[in-house]
Amino acid sequence: DFFLLFFSSSLKPLSLSLSLSSSSYIFVLPLSLSLLSLSKTSTMRATDNNQGSFLNRISIRRNQVVSMDGNHEQELEDLELFQKHVADRFSDLLPPADHSSVDVAAVDTLLSVSWFRKLLDVFLCCEAEFKAVLVMGRDPTQFSKPPLDKLLPELLDRSVKALDVCNAITHGVDLVRHWQKLARIVVSALEQRPIGEGQVRRAKKALNTLLTSLTFDDKENNHSKSTERAWSFGRNRGGAAGNNKDRTAGNFRSPSWSVAKSWSAAKQIQAMSSNLVAPRGGEPTGLASHVYILTTVLVFVMWALVAAIPCQERNGLSTHFPVPRQLGWAQAMIGLQEKIGEEWKKKEKKGTAGLLEETQRMEKLAQSLVEFADSFQFPAEAEKAEEVAAQVAELADICCKMEEGLVPLQQQIREVFHRIVRSRTEVLDLLDQSGKLSAPVPY
Amino acid sequence: MGDCESIFPTYDAEQHVIAAALHLVKALGASENLSDDMKKILTDFDTQLSTMTKLTGSKAGLICDVEDQLKCAQEKVMCWQSSQLTIWDSDPKEVSEYLQAVDEVRRLTESLGNLLSNKNGKQKELLDRAHSVLQMAMVRLEEELMHILARNKQFFGPRCMSFHSYEEGVVFDESIVSTEDDSVEDTSRGESSGTESEEYIMDSVHPGVVSDIKSIATVMFASNYDQEFCQAFTSFWRDALDEYLIICKMEKLSIEDVLKMEWSSLNHKIKKWCRAMKSVIQSYLASEKWLFNQVLGEFGSVSSICFFEASKASMLCLLNFGEAISIGPHPPERLFCLINMYEVLADLLQDIDALFLEEVGSFIRIEFHELLRRLGDSVRATFVGFGNQVALNTSTTPFPKGGIHPLTKYVMNYIRTLAGYGDTLNLLLEGQDREDGQNISSHIFGPMAHHFQSVTSILEANLDNKSNLYKNGSLKHIFMMNNIHYMVEKVKSSELRTYFGDEWIRKHIGKFQQHATSYERATWSSVLSLLRDDGRNPVKAILREKCKGFAFAFEEVYKSQTGWSIPDPQLREDLRILTSLKVIHAYRTFLGRCSTSISDKYIKYTADDLENYILDLFEGSPRSLHNTWR
Repeated sequence: DFFLLFFSSSLKPLSLSLSLSSSSYIFVLPLSLSLLSLSKTSTMRATDNNQGSFLNRISIRRNQVVSMDGNHEQELEDLELFQKHVADRFSDLLPPADHSSVDVAAVDTLLSVSWFRKLLDVFLCCEAEFKAVLVMGRDPTQFSKPPLDKLLPELLDRSVKALDVCNAITHGVDLVRHWQKLARIVVSALEQRPIGEGQVRRAKKALNTLLTSLTFDDKENNHSKSTERAWSFGRNRGGAAGNNKDRTAGNFRSPSWSVAKSWSAAKQIQAMSSNLVAPRGGEPTGLASHVYILTTVLVFVMWALVAAIPCQERNGLSTHFPVPRQLGWAQAMIGLQEKIGEEWKKKEKKGTAGLLEETQRMEKLAQSLVEFADSFQFPAEAEKAEEVAAQVAELADICCKMEEGLVPLQQQIREVFHRIVRSRTEVLDLLDQSGKLSAPVPY
Repeated sequence: MGDCESIFPTYDAEQHVIAAALHLVKALGASENLSDDMKKILTDFDTQLSTMTKLTGSKAGLICDVEDQLKCAQEKVMCWQSSQLTIWDSDPKEVSEYLQAVDEVRRLTESLGNLLSNKNGKQKELLDRAHSVLQMAMVRLEEELMHILARNKQFFGPRCMSFHSYEEGVVFDESIVSTEDDSVEDTSRGESSGTESEEYIMDSVHPGVVSDIKSIATVMFASNYDQEFCQAFTSFWRDALDEYLIICKMEKLSIEDVLKMEWSSLNHKIKKWCRAMKSVIQSYLASEKWLFNQVLGEFGSVSSICFFEASKASMLCLLNFGEAISIGPHPPERLFCLINMYEVLADLLQDIDALFLEEVGSFIRIEFHELLRRLGDSVRATFVGFGNQVALNTSTTPFPKGGIHPLTKYVMNYIRTLAGYGDTLNLLLEGQDREDGQNISSHIFGPMAHHFQSVTSILEANLDNKSNLYKNGSLKHIFMMNNIHYMVEKVKSSELRTYFGDEWIRKHIGKFQQHATSYERATWSSVLSLLRDDGRNPVKAILREKCKGFAFAFEEVYKSQTGWSIPDPQLREDLRILTSLKVIHAYRTFLGRCSTSISDKYIKYTADDLENYILDLFEGSPRSLHNTWR
């Protein structure tokens, strides 16, 4: 998919050029050219209409000289192209139906760190394409007319909610990295040969902290969270140390969410997805569909992140949000949604871990290893030792994957954050230019 | 150690190992291409092995010795294990003995791991025991570390204590929407910037315990428990910073919350944010970084990685609030807060770059720079948008009494306050509006002068529109005169003078004087025309009529214009004098002409009366002369 390549390879310059807004129209032009030239239909039509070069055509569109019909056709073309790209990009994210025919190693497992990095790339691409269509050559007065006068402010509203989700997820990734570090200790301890009591105890300490954190129930511990400080023993007891049991709590880290206490990821997603209605077929402007598609993509991405990466208050996270089944471009997304939704149903009540593939495997291994540690007697049986060695190797592998993937993932989430912020500003500028909004923007 | 032999019946095997090692060392020593250092090491090793051979040979027993040492160290470790006391709270001698014991165990695990054959069950058991003791000691050290940190953490006082009184800065809470209300206060920039640059490097922990922490770090790192140490140490400081933000009264707010918040409370939060940002970066983190380097400096990049991990979450929270503000709408009154935030960050730029110098900290550095850029954009957009706001302020009814319109006050006070931010704004507006070449002011006084002058032009145009609402032409001129005079006074009496220049002031003095002249003409020309000597011989009846007509006209003027307002006393005085000169002079001439023709009873007012009555004009409270006319 050349188009995808184009976007992902030039994300930075693209966003730069777009942020110059419409006054620097010439900078946006190269993008518009590639947008058009990539669409065969538009190439043909351009010559059919005898409107000369693209440049000419675009400037005519911009000056709003072109007839309503021409404008409408262009919008339909843009829409068709946008739908196709969204459909293609999401199909790439679907796990292959036939495992035997594909090199399994080459495919990113659903909900793995690398899968999420791809997903965020897809979002950034869709967003860039959406904005290109929105910013370029539109008659700005249509932003202040129905249906866009309502849809765009709604999109802005959802973007703000998405920003808060991004923030929560950024902190969630930190928690996952904390787990990774604990797992790393387990690996260091159990990699030793021979495994002795000391190593097992070392591993067990890390495993207990890890499992407590993984299965931490937000709801149950919500109230004690802020008051109970894991290592406040020294101060609270006036210097006399408590018993050893208390002191070993040292390394437990309750998820400190860094968001407002009342904030709920589940409610946030709920608010983002409610009233999300596909425009009816006969709506006059193609941009309404663009807005709908981008909003759906945005909601999907945020929903998937919330389901996978620990963040505050996920109880009651919806397992799906309604996307009409007849929409061609949404098929792959609906497929993904169903798979993730099923996973979520299985997992919902089980602590903070979330659906991140690496985390789930880590949790299973940790449980199995803690069982081993509990029943350990020196020296370990050879068979058992082998089994443990395999598990430790797998845990080491997960740690490596996390080590490689989590920091870039976090940076990507920040990139998404900043992109949404920039786009919001640009859309607000557009609305500003279009003058009198029929409904004032909430913020 | 009588039972040595029973535990190690196979010390023969031991001898084999040592013999083999000895052989190996000798073989290596024979090699020719060895460095001097290497040779020395081999020689030392050789001597050591020989002694060991002798020892084992003489049945003194290395293993007995090892076990002896382990047992001894283990006792030391275990005796603390059951104690309720903390080691570092007791005698320093105890501490050093404990550390020695732990180091002993650590060395034993190493030498046992290296030297002993894995096949020997008993030796394995010994090694296992050593590891086990070491692990217990490590857990204990981690607890001791936490205890030391919790006990000795210094609370950052001074800056937090004075939070209430500290730096009030600019209060410009008026909204442009509320300009119909006359309460706009003059504001000027507080003397905030000068007093804040003091260095506040304090100690994160009591200086006396830094070496204790370091000794724990050293032994844990040497024992390969570095991950545990870093986890505990980092977690502690992450939570400590989290707590510090609570002390600084920084709430955790979502972006949505911030956007929905009332301006007054948001304004308050912004001030707290500015203070928290400064004290976190300049003092708190600076001293924390110092501590991290003291404790972890010798372990390479560990120090900067841990420091980054410990400060990241809270830094993101702080930066995030800034993001939320930069995202929000920017009505003009927020400009000052935005500039304050911008300036705070700009001041901290070097500190941030120093704190997060290393690659690992680039995440924070980038976020920080991004926020600075965004706030700069917001400042620029708000400032440029201010002109539009001024243009859009429309009235439907004429402003009563022709006084100074609140919009004029608002705009002038606003830009006067802005003048205090000249350097920052000039920097941010640099490169804007370059195409506007014909305006020389921007070249002389910088981009801000250009923007100021364009704002006042917009204001003038707006006032001109507002003045058209008056039905009375004279009042229109009074209104314009009042407002332009106000602008000139504001410019003359403040820093704005340097942005507008004498040329602008001269031009605008001319403008309001022109309005004064126009007022004279509009009000008094017709009135005085009644007194005009039309060249013919004065006829009594006509003179009487003229006299009556003039008095009536004067009374009308008096009735309306005593209600008009010229708030500036000097300007009021000047206009009265101007009026007096013109009116009294004409009246006296008239009276001189008719004194012979008509009796005094037809002359209602003397020139002195008129002069006194003129002093009543423009006071803002309508009065009327007793109308004894019939």
